[in-house]
Amino acid sequence: MKYLISRAFVALLFLWTMTGSCLGAEDYEQLFRQTSDLMAQGDLDGALALLKQVPAPKADEEAGPFVSSRMQAARIYASQKASDKAMTTCQEVLKLFPDNNEARNFAAALKDLQKPGWHTALSDTVRFLPALAKGALMTLLLVFCTMLVSPLGGLLVALGRISTIKPISGFCWFIIWFFRGTPLLLQLFFIYYGLPSLGITLKPLTAAVIGLGLNYSAYLGEIIRGAIQSIDHGQMEAAKAIGMSYSQAMRRVIIPQTYKRLMPPVGNEFIALIKDTALVSTIAMVELMRAADQLFNTYFNITALALAAVIYLVLTTIFTFIFEKIEYRAGIYEHR
Amino acid sequence: MSTVSQPLLKLENITKRFKNLTAVNSVNLDVAAGEKLVIIGPSGSGKSTLLRSINLLEEIEEGTIRFEGREVGYVMRNGKRHPDRPQAISALRAEIGMVFQHFHLFPHMTVLGNVMEGPLTVQHKPADEARSIAVEILAKVGLSDKRDVFPATLSGGQKQRVAIARALAMQPKLMLFDEPTSALDPELVGEVFDTIHTLADEGMTMIIVTHHMGFARELADRVIFMESGNFLAQGTPEELFSSAQDNDRIRGFLNRLL
Repeated sequence: MKYLISRAFVALLFLWTMTGSCLGAEDYEQLFRQTSDLMAQGDLDGALALLKQVPAPKADEEAGPFVSSRMQAARIYASQKASDKAMTTCQEVLKLFPDNNEARNFAAALKDLQKPGWHTALSDTVRFLPALAKGALMTLLLVFCTMLVSPLGGLLVALGRISTIKPISGFCWFIIWFFRGTPLLLQLFFIYYGLPSLGITLKPLTAAVIGLGLNYSAYLGEIIRGAIQSIDHGQMEAAKAIGMSYSQAMRRVIIPQTYKRLMPPVGNEFIALIKDTALVSTIAMVELMRAADQLFNTYFNITALALAAVIYLVLTTIFTFIFEKIEYRAGIYEHR
Repeated sequence: MSTVSQPLLKLENITKRFKNLTAVNSVNLDVAAGEKLVIIGPSGSGKSTLLRSINLLEEIEEGTIRFEGREVGYVMRNGKRHPDRPQAISALRAEIGMVFQHFHLFPHMTVLGNVMEGPLTVQHKPADEARSIAVEILAKVGLSDKRDVFPATLSGGQKQRVAIARALAMQPKLMLFDEPTSALDPELVGEVFDTIHTLADEGMTMIIVTHHMGFARELADRVIFMESGNFLAQGTPEELFSSAQDNDRIRGFLNRLL
C-alpha cells in the first residue's frame, strides 16, 4: 500500500516538474519527453541514463533542466527503494544549490523514510519519559506511604476483630465491612470532595494516602486476622503456660509466625495497590496514569499509554521479586 | 513450718463441664511438695482437662485451686465466680511448668531461643543471664549441641526435651506433664522418660498424665486411676496394681495397655 502511494506521489511530482521544465531549451524538452516515454514503458534504467546526460550548469547557465533532471532521477531511485542513490542525487543538487527547497524537502523526506519504525517510537519515548518518570515517582510515593500506613492499620483491625471485647471487635468489623464493601474510587471522592463540606479540606496527596490507607488496612486486616488464626492454638497455650500475657504471646510468638504466611497475600495486595493508585488521578493528582493520559490527550500518541503500561509492569515485577525474597527469608526456620 | 504441713497444690471439688459433658466431676486432690503423681486412665476420662485446669488453661465451673495455700485463678464478684486478673493468672502459670503432648515449641526461635524465652520475656531477665540459664538447662537435658538449630530439625524426643527445658527455665515449683511421650515413636520414649526421671530425682514436684506404665511403676509416689471425670482408685503403684486384681475396670484398662 505504502509502496503504491509513493509510486502515485512520484508520478504526480513527475507530471508537475514536466510542465515546469517545458520552459527549458528544446533539447531538454525532447530529452524529458523521451524520458517520460521510457518511464511509461517501464524502462526506468533507460530513463535514468537519459536524465544523467543533463550536465551540471555553468555559472551563467540556467539551473532548471539540471535540477529537474536530478530530482526526477531521485524520484525514480526512491520509487525503486534505492534511497541511498536517491539521496546522493539530491545532494548533487544541494551541493550546487543549497537553497533549493525541492531538493531539501525531498532529502528530508528520504531521511525520514530511512528511519525505521522503532526510531519514531524511541524519539516519542525520549520525549514522554520525563513526564512519565515524574508521574511514576508520585505513584511510588503513594505506594510507599500506603505500605507504611496500611500494615499498621491492618494489624490493629485484625487484633480488634479477634478481641473478646465486643465494642472493639464490632467497630473493626464495621471498618472492614465499610471499606471493603464500597468502591475505592467512591471513598477517594468522598474524602477529597466530600469532607470539605464538613470543614475538612485535604491536599490531594493527604486525601489519597488516607483513602488508600483505609482501604488497604481493611483488606490487610482480614489477611492478618486469617494468618493469626491459622497459627496452631497450641502456640498460644505454650506461650501462656510459661507465663506470657496475651500481648507478649502475640508479639513474641504468634505474630512472628504469621510473616511467612502473610507474604503471598500481602504481596498480592501491594501489587494491586500499585495499580489502584491510578484511581487517585481522579482527585487532581498527577501520578503515572494521569501523566500518561495527559500526554495521550496532547499528542494523540498511543506510545504514552504503552510506556505507562511498561512502567507499571516494571514496578510490579520488582515488587513480585522483592516479596518472593522476603517470603523465603521469613520462612527460613522451616527449612530442614 | 507451714510449708511442710500444707500441700503445694490443693484441689477442692473441681468440676469442669463442656456443654453437656462433665469432664471433671468434683475432684479433690492434694499434692505435697516433692510428690510425684501419675494419673492414668482411658482416653476422655478427664485427665488432661484436670491437668489443664490446674494452670488455668481451662476455666472450671466449680471448685477452688490452692497453690502454696493461697486460692488462685478465680475471684468472687457480686456472688459470681470470675477468672482472676490476667496478670495474676500469668503469674501463677509462671510458677507452674507445663509440657504438652505435641511439644508446641516456638518454631521461629532456635532451641536456645525457646528456652531463653520465659526468663527473657516473662521474668524480664537481662539477655546474658537468660542465656546462661538456658545454656545450663540445655546441658542438663543433653542438648547442648542443638542450641542454635531450629526445632524443625529435631527428632520428636529432642523436641520434647527442649520443651521440658523451656518449662524448667522458669524454675517452676510444679511440673505438669500432659502425655509427654504419647506423640513419640517408641524408640524415642526412653530419652524423654530419662529426662523426667532425672528431674524427679532432683525432687521436682510433678503430675504426669500418661499411658506409659513405666512412669507409674518407676517414678510415682502415688498413682490415680481416673475414669469419666472421677478418681476410681488411687494409691502407691503397688497398691493400685494389686487393687487392679479386684477391679474389673482398672484390670481391663491395664490389660489393654500391656
